[in-house]
Amino acid sequence: MEQATAPIPLKPRDFKSAIKPVWCPGCGDFAVLNAITKALAFLELPREDVALITGIGCSSRIAAYTSVYGFHGVHGRALALAGGLKAARPDLTVLVAGGDGDGLSIGGNHFIHACRRNMNMTYIIMDNEVYGMTKGQASPTTAPDWAHGKLTPQGTGIRPFQPAGLALTAGASFIARGFTGDPNGLAKILVEAIRHQGFSFIQVMSPCPTFRPEQMEWKRHVQGFRDEVTDDPAIAAQRIQEDDGMSTGLIFKREYPVFQPGTGTDSGMDSGMDEIEKEFVI
Amino acid sequence: MSLAKRMTDLDTFLAYSVALEEEAADRHDELADVMDVHNNPEVAGTFRKLAHYSRLHAQEIRDHARGANLPVIAPWDFGWETMEGPETADPGDVNYLMNTAQALKIAMGNERRAHDFYFDISEGSPDEDVRALAGEFAEEEKEHLELLEKWQAKIPESEEEVMFDPDPAHTPE
Repeated sequence: MEQATAPIPLKPRDFKSAIKPVWCPGCGDFAVLNAITKALAFLELPREDVALITGIGCSSRIAAYTSVYGFHGVHGRALALAGGLKAARPDLTVLVAGGDGDGLSIGGNHFIHACRRNMNMTYIIMDNEVYGMTKGQASPTTAPDWAHGKLTPQGTGIRPFQPAGLALTAGASFIARGFTGDPNGLAKILVEAIRHQGFSFIQVMSPCPTFRPEQMEWKRHVQGFRDEVTDDPAIAAQRIQEDDGMSTGLIFKREYPVFQPGTGTDSGMDSGMDEIEKEFVI
Repeated sequence: MSLAKRMTDLDTFLAYSVALEEEAADRHDELADVMDVHNNPEVAGTFRKLAHYSRLHAQEIRDHARGANLPVIAPWDFGWETMEGPETADPGDVNYLMNTAQALKIAMGNERRAHDFYFDISEGSPDEDVRALAGEFAEEEKEHLELLEKWQAKIPESEEEVMFDPDPAHTPE
């Protein structure tokens, strides 16, 4: 008689693929990869039950470096792709990742609507305040006086987005900020985000050693939020406004209705898929 | 409470020790991959060797722990006194142009921190067995450091060598 053996728990490294990242040495995105793999191992999620959807940019390459399902998508459209996937496969744990340009500029409209739609997925913006893959242009989170981009030699003169504030205003139900210099703290935030029912947003300060080498000093300035997480949007807004952008931790968490379109007639919301499929029958 | 004071039993201490060595090995592998990708095969080979040694040490500790029921500790609950395990290299310290001497300097820093970690426990743990084993591990880390120093003495490169790239990645097009 065969005896069933207990599966060996996966280690973080089991969630990495064999592809070697092409990120620059010192890039914060390595720590995000490590934090994601630690979080998935801690949650004991089977690899086939997880999908990581990304946009375009240095950080968006992360999908290829994991061993879960991945889709390296279209610039700024990672959330749209992820929304479609989650609608079709609500059983999957869906992670979405990209950079500040991908998520807040090209994909800015998708971001605000994903926040208010509140589908059950986790969105990670790896924020280095620059377009790195295209060799160093100002992004929506770049300070107005950053004058090292060739396109904006005098700086942009434009105030940057506050990603956490934007997410709060748009109705996100879970908002946190992490830092790649603290990958274990980031893994903890990720675990909470994945467990959260609804749209969880994490802004990760991820230094770019090539185009923003001064960000390597962030580790001297980052600190934890002094206050516990709140479910009051007004208090969260005040904290975000008063903060210098260098505090990490969970900022806001609240239960809002989760949007999950039906996938069949038994859900009470006929998706019409049967009709569509019939059109493909020869 | 200091980390040393929290090492109240052998199983907890061994769980920390395994995690410390495995994380160091994973980071060395990660840095080796970085150097491979950036066409620095010599330093890639150095980091790969360092990963191998960390794995051997981790296995040694696991052998020591055979039969024990080591506690499962979440990564963020270790409460390391540094952001990551004490033997884990800081990825911000590497450069794609670095030479073997500079890589070994990083490795020596890792070994020193690991030595100090075990030494503190050998002095401060409330458990006698933990203190004794931590003392052994501290001695081993000291030996590793001495081996790295010998290795560094044999190589021609200098850790003072200036890293220069005539066509750096951040040159705007």
